[in-house]
Amino acid sequence: MSIMSYNGGAVLAMRGKNCVAIGGDLRFGVQAQMVSSSFEKVFSMGDHLYIGMAGLASDVQTVHERLKFRLNLYELREGRSIKPNTFMSMVSNLLYERRFGPYYIDPVIAGLDPITFKPFICSLDLIGCPMVTEDFVVSGTCAEQMFGMCETLWEPDLEPEELFEAISQALLSAVNRDALSGSGAVIHLIEKDKVTTRVLKTRLD
Amino acid sequence: MPTVMEDCVGAIQHRFSPYSFNGGTLLAFAGSDFALLAADSRLSEGFGIHNRNAARLHKLSESCVLACCGFQGDCLSLLRILEARVKMYKQTHQRPMTCPAIASLLSQLLYSHRFFPYYCYCLIAGLDSQGQGAVFSFDPVGSYERVPFSSLGSASAQLQPLLDSQLSSGVQLSASQAEQLARDVFVSAAERDVYTGDSVQVCLVSSVEVHRDSHSLRKD
Amino acid sequence: MALSSDFLPWPKEHAPGQFYTFPVGGSVADFGPITRTQNPMVVGTSVLGVKFAGGVAVAADMLGSYGSLARFRNISRVMRVNDYTVLACAGDYADYQYLHDIIEQMVRSKLNPLWNTILVGGYHDEESFLGYVDRIGLAYESPVVATGFGAFIALPLMRDAHEKNPNMSKDEALTLLERCLKILYYRDSRAFNRYEIAIVTKDGATILPPASCVTNWEIAHFVRNE
Repeated sequence: MSIMSYNGGAVLAMRGKNCVAIGGDLRFGVQAQMVSSSFEKVFSMGDHLYIGMAGLASDVQTVHERLKFRLNLYELREGRSIKPNTFMSMVSNLLYERRFGPYYIDPVIAGLDPITFKPFICSLDLIGCPMVTEDFVVSGTCAEQMFGMCETLWEPDLEPEELFEAISQALLSAVNRDALSGSGAVIHLIEKDKVTTRVLKTRLD
Repeated sequence: MPTVMEDCVGAIQHRFSPYSFNGGTLLAFAGSDFALLAADSRLSEGFGIHNRNAARLHKLSESCVLACCGFQGDCLSLLRILEARVKMYKQTHQRPMTCPAIASLLSQLLYSHRFFPYYCYCLIAGLDSQGQGAVFSFDPVGSYERVPFSSLGSASAQLQPLLDSQLSSGVQLSASQAEQLARDVFVSAAERDVYTGDSVQVCLVSSVEVHRDSHSLRKD
Repeated sequence: MALSSDFLPWPKEHAPGQFYTFPVGGSVADFGPITRTQNPMVVGTSVLGVKFAGGVAVAADMLGSYGSLARFRNISRVMRVNDYTVLACAGDYADYQYLHDIIEQMVRSKLNPLWNTILVGGYHDEESFLGYVDRIGLAYESPVVATGFGAFIALPLMRDAHEKNPNMSKDEALTLLERCLKILYYRDSRAFNRYEIAIVTKDGATILPPASCVTNWEIAHFVRNE
């Protein structure tokens, strides 16, 4: 039993035309046992920036708080909001500091550049190796299922509503084939002038 | 706990394993009056490809086809036994074995090796005695169930949720729609799974015939 | 999940239907005196095979390695089974000799394998046959086959040659095999320059007399570890 799948969970991000979407499930469990169905794994890190983390739940919360702390210091010092790419380096840095005693999380970042509003998505491994892609990134106990869904549902230049439809279908179908994730999902659709957050219902078993 | 064998052998070991995994992905749909199977044709081991043109779909009767992947040695052995038993049935009873009966036989064959299992993922598809499409999905020790559609093998985790989303609302596909969907999902599977590729073999079982087709996939 | 695969008599990486636990002391096979090969001793390296128009050829070099020692330098690893079948064998040489007597026993091993990979070439009903079988029963047919290190070094070359010329003549096939054997001799430290080739055509199966690769090691002088 891997510690990465002790609590279960799934996070997914997709790029669209002038927008990005990120979503995660709501399950918090201990191995096969359900504990909560309202555990959010995707966090706002600014007006157009979100991070989602799948993995060990305590590390998800710890890393979230430590990132928020570093981000506040950065924005206080710089007097401007962070670029998604810079934020990725910040996460990478934080994780690599624990190279030999890592946080057991796989983060996914989605956001728009604060100046140019260029879409950005990336994922990192638990010791901070970043990977920036042009299509979609997945992490969690049903990564394979999400890959299968995204590979067929995603296409370039999706409009915001199409992107929302694609990411929702991908996430819901994927978590329904995984015993360790599901119990509802949250999707954030990030556009230039608004962020739309929707809570989706799934089967609860 | 070190086993006796580990005590007997030296430091550098390629200890004998009776199993290996040769990849492969299977897929089957049951229609109202047909069944459709698809399987890729890549036979691999580790980072190597033994054969790009392996057969994973095996016709057992005029209305029943077996799809099998996992460890190819066990698949061959299992197929040989199953073919013999189907032939014996036909000779004893003077009629071909029905698809559900073959499924039940396969389950018993697999379970009879409960403690040294055949490392095989099997799908049986064909027509039942009413002429309706039937798909039976197996695990390596013989648990099986009749399902409307199923995928097994190395890319099954990628395909299964996709089939759920496309088919679980109860839509009835036509044979040509099913074939198109099978080809599409194999293209996606070959994209992300290194053990799936080279070509996809499609097999349509209808009351008329068992029709086979092949389409190429990426080879890298 | 704690798999009790600790008790399995084979390595853990392959547990069919990963979620199933195997009870202690299952009826798989009791540990006892090891009777056949659990690790190979005198081994032969790669064997190669290729189909050509109207026949098939298989090839193997003549070295039996004992670890890093080139122990036997003139042993035959190809065998004429009957008028239209030949066989070439990689892996444990003693097991290969045993196979001379009983070929049929290479079925699903009862944790008691013959440590060999075998290529079978044949000709029947106007068609050539080339097949591969290994110690656990993996078996397939293919127009070009190679085992061991040859699967990495020679097989891509042979596949390429076959793709460009799917109907190669006997001479072209022999040239291809000789070229691959030479490349293997250059790059596989357990290979040897003395080799045998067996061919089967409609006229029957023959093993050509042993031959040697002509090699050029001039370039070796330019290789330095600095």
